[in-house]
Amino acid sequence: MPPPAPISRTFRARCSRVPLLGWLSGALAAVVLERFVGTPLALAVGLPKIPALFGIDIMLKKPLLIPNAVLYTVLIYLLPIAAVALSTAFLTNRLAGGLMKLPVAVPVAVHLGLLYAALHFWADVSDYRSLVLKLTMIAIMLTLSLNVINGYMGEFSCSHPGFMALGAYCASVVTVGLFVDGNYFGIALLPGETGPFLFPIDLVAGGLLAAFGALFVAIPSFRTRGDYLAIISLAFLFIVKSLIENFEFVRGPRGMSGQPDLAGLPTVFSWAVLCVWSINNFVRSTVGKAMNAVRDNEMAAEAMTVDTRRTKIVAFLFAAFWAGVAGGLFAHVLRYVNPGTFGIQNLAEVLAMVYFGGLNSVYGSIVGAVSISLLGEALRPLEIFKWIIIPLLLILVMIYRPTGLIAFKDLEVATLLRPKQGPDGER
Amino acid sequence: MRKGMLFGVCILVGVMAFSTGWAKEPTIKIGINAPITGDIPKVGEGTKFAAQLWLEDVKAAGGIAVGKKKYPVELVIEDNESKAESAVKVTTKMITEDDILVMVGPQASKQAVPAAGIANNYKTPMITPWSTNPDSTKDKPYVFRACFLDPFQGPVVANFISNEFKFKKAAVLYDVASDYPKGLAEFFKKAWEDTHGKGSVVAYESFTTKDTDFSSQLTKIINSGAQVLFTPQYYNEVALIVQQAHQLGWKKPIVGSDSWGSAETVKLCGKDCYGAFFSTHYAAAGATGDTKKFIDRYKAKHGYVPDDVAALTWDAMMLVQKAIQGTGGLTGDLKKDRDNVRTALSQVKKFKGITGEMTFAGKNDPSKCAVIVKISDTGEFTFYKSVCP
Amino acid sequence: MAIFLQNLVNSLQWGSFYALIALGYSMVYSILMLFNFAHGDIFMVGGYIGVGVSFGLLALSSSGILAIPNWLILVLTILFSMFLTSFVGMIVERVGYRPLRNAPRASAAITGLMIGIILETGNLILLGARRVSFPSLIETATYDLGGVFVTNKKIMIVAVSLLLTLALHQFIRRTKWGMAMRAMAFDFVAVPLMGVPVNKVIALTFGIGSALAAAAGILFGIAYPVLDPYMGVLFGWKAFVAAILGGRGSILGATLAGFLLGFTEIFVAMIFPSTLRDLIAYSIILLILTFRPHGFFGEPYSARLRL
Repeated sequence: MPPPAPISRTFRARCSRVPLLGWLSGALAAVVLERFVGTPLALAVGLPKIPALFGIDIMLKKPLLIPNAVLYTVLIYLLPIAAVALSTAFLTNRLAGGLMKLPVAVPVAVHLGLLYAALHFWADVSDYRSLVLKLTMIAIMLTLSLNVINGYMGEFSCSHPGFMALGAYCASVVTVGLFVDGNYFGIALLPGETGPFLFPIDLVAGGLLAAFGALFVAIPSFRTRGDYLAIISLAFLFIVKSLIENFEFVRGPRGMSGQPDLAGLPTVFSWAVLCVWSINNFVRSTVGKAMNAVRDNEMAAEAMTVDTRRTKIVAFLFAAFWAGVAGGLFAHVLRYVNPGTFGIQNLAEVLAMVYFGGLNSVYGSIVGAVSISLLGEALRPLEIFKWIIIPLLLILVMIYRPTGLIAFKDLEVATLLRPKQGPDGER
Repeated sequence: MRKGMLFGVCILVGVMAFSTGWAKEPTIKIGINAPITGDIPKVGEGTKFAAQLWLEDVKAAGGIAVGKKKYPVELVIEDNESKAESAVKVTTKMITEDDILVMVGPQASKQAVPAAGIANNYKTPMITPWSTNPDSTKDKPYVFRACFLDPFQGPVVANFISNEFKFKKAAVLYDVASDYPKGLAEFFKKAWEDTHGKGSVVAYESFTTKDTDFSSQLTKIINSGAQVLFTPQYYNEVALIVQQAHQLGWKKPIVGSDSWGSAETVKLCGKDCYGAFFSTHYAAAGATGDTKKFIDRYKAKHGYVPDDVAALTWDAMMLVQKAIQGTGGLTGDLKKDRDNVRTALSQVKKFKGITGEMTFAGKNDPSKCAVIVKISDTGEFTFYKSVCP
Repeated sequence: MAIFLQNLVNSLQWGSFYALIALGYSMVYSILMLFNFAHGDIFMVGGYIGVGVSFGLLALSSSGILAIPNWLILVLTILFSMFLTSFVGMIVERVGYRPLRNAPRASAAITGLMIGIILETGNLILLGARRVSFPSLIETATYDLGGVFVTNKKIMIVAVSLLLTLALHQFIRRTKWGMAMRAMAFDFVAVPLMGVPVNKVIALTFGIGSALAAAAGILFGIAYPVLDPYMGVLFGWKAFVAAILGGRGSILGATLAGFLLGFTEIFVAMIFPSTLRDLIAYSIILLILTFRPHGFFGEPYSARLRL
């Protein structure tokens, strides 16, 4: 009989046998637990209330409470997740195996349902969490769509805030005009109840306008690339901003407010999922491969019968479309837009998310967007020093992993969802 | 082994539950939503300093006395990074996580408008000291402001120039990308053209935030035959505009708005600004009473004369204090208390702030007098005239 | 006509800032093939160092230790600050760029952006949110030349920036180090094998670029005496536009494009309603690049870059 392996190794080995389904159920169990016993537990460990973002906020504000916050996080998240995930590993593996035999849509739907349930219960605890969650998902959409151009196609596009602004304004004009009294048409043309049904069309319209705007960057990109394209896109950003500022119809620099409250968590979640799904398919399609070819060597790509013009224009329009949709959602989450939001600062943020997460990778974009958004939120108590710490972190990542945390990695749904252990115990 | 660990954790929990029980003393929490980083850090600093100065007073008095009880006060200061989405996050966080009773700020309209929507949704009273955009308080019963609005200030300046100098042609130079100058410029233009007829604003020029060279616009203005230049800009731009205008040969009067009301204006601008007029909330040089006391204290502590933002924030804090005391007693139920504070705020009448007397009387925007200030030949802001609505 | 001349004078001054900053971008580009996005903030740091140096010198001269006239203080300030700021540039290179020499160019762009943010925030922490005014070392004298107003400062700014550009040109043409730079711009792989110290040359390039930015910062402080920590952001991006517009890596091109950008911004505001300035000015640039996709002096897909 071999000597017993160290606990950490057996633990890790057992963890590696848990499928995604198991982790998700663990997370769901943890957040349900928090939803119902979070408050008494928080009071019991000496915290004033449930910590909003895993206690980091409290730790930074009151260092004395660090052990309490850590204890809370361990008790409410780590222990239940580990316990449920490990104890049900056998069951969830079989379940995942069974699901995989069905058409791929079924297991995907089950996983997404579980993920949404977990997020829903987590966000249910406080509206602050739900807001952070919504904005994070919008950041994911933006980052992904920028990654299509900057990562997969290898350009350095600076116009993303511009696309976002076009989408945000188009969507806002439609909803404010249709559902709010005293605006463009004098009275609300449609009753508010029809809002949720028209909202998708509205967002798509915003996306299409952004895609149309992208033509102004895409067409010059036929003849040039790299740095020249960077300033074409930068000029485009300045132009869009200046255009909106001069457009009294959308109230210029005062910004538009009063968008109806249409972007709830389920709406944003479903759009984010749709975005990840379609971009993931897009980058793995023929056009996606063509984009990589254009990035690596445009002339060689042309020689291999890749239609570089078509590739570029499709990529730009597609990315801008999703940026526009994200902009529309952004406007309806904040229920206010103004041109100042879509400036250089916003550009630097999105770029940071793309390059932090990793180029040419759907995983990377998700990781980058989530980590930068949450970090920015959690480090709030540091006030101004936050803007020293986050850039430093990014520089370190760039130095040690120049292409970002998770670069050049495909998101393969089947691999992600498959059981980690066969029914007979074999891997 | 694992059982042992679990046991240890249980013991730790037990010990903590008994040792560090959260102090359950009822505290009044006031949120300060300020742009500490981002485009206008100076505004954030002024807000923060003024609020902290107020807190000192309250602490010295042992808390705010409401009814028969004294409550300790805690400020929750958060940075909105001068971004709309960040202001929304901060507001939501303060209201749902930090359990604030009242929020003061954000200052700039681009953050105040969305934040006001949130505060109103959660039925939490909010005072924005500095936002002049009508949208901030429009249809939002829980949102108040401490300053006068553009539709009031624009005509005040226009009438002052017409009556004082008997001029007929005016020029305007403003920042098109910033809503405060743009709004004020529009109201000024409207008021001026109402008195002097269409086309009497002979040059209506603009630039974009962060621009530093206005020579092209100023050349146009100088050649337009205008008799006076109105520029509702922030002090850092004022210094540049006035200096460049003089370098390009402009010798006629220059008039500004309340955003000139910072000690930095003269410091940055120097002799070029001497003799200029502007409308504002208070005149620092001729200040008396509480206003002077505030200015002196602020100056002693931070080394410079406070801006209008700081003064308005101070007034907002005093309004909050008055409103909390006006509730007659806190119930301990945050929802009810917030409602009570709102009611008390809307009933404030003839509140003597350091930036003038304010009356809400059921409305959310105060009726407040404006002061016309002249920059004297020694660089001081001297009282020239008072205009009331 | 007077209006036109007046605007011409104005745009010469405005363009010389763009030109000086664009030179820094261009020099780094020609050697490393990447843009130093922290350059706008180095310009800001240069301005602040200038304020510090000039206040120091003023204090010395007023206390009688160093009896020097104000114009000499100005000259010394420019020289000292250029010297000091060049070290800032070298440090930025050492921290943010050297470790990334073999990484994708975009990663280096991100580190540049982040270093920029750190410089801005660091300034905010150190000096507080107050705006700093540049001491007026020389009295402004306004000359009226037939309706065209020119100040001594304007003349000085344009003269100094042209002088610096010329000096740079001579340095690159005539000296050994300049030759090394040109060689590296020509071939980054083979030249180090010939015994040219790569790291030293690159550090020197950053140093010179930053020194020029510092000069621009001080001249800027003289013309527009209000400095704030974020002043380099937008300015930097616009100078970046000028640097590319001139054709990457071309000194003559960068200078010309800097002036051209200044002219465009000023004259668009003169001819059209000034609310539409950015809209029209950048549309023009977009059009220029659509029809001349490689700037004025750039060559398409070429390894040969001019310096």
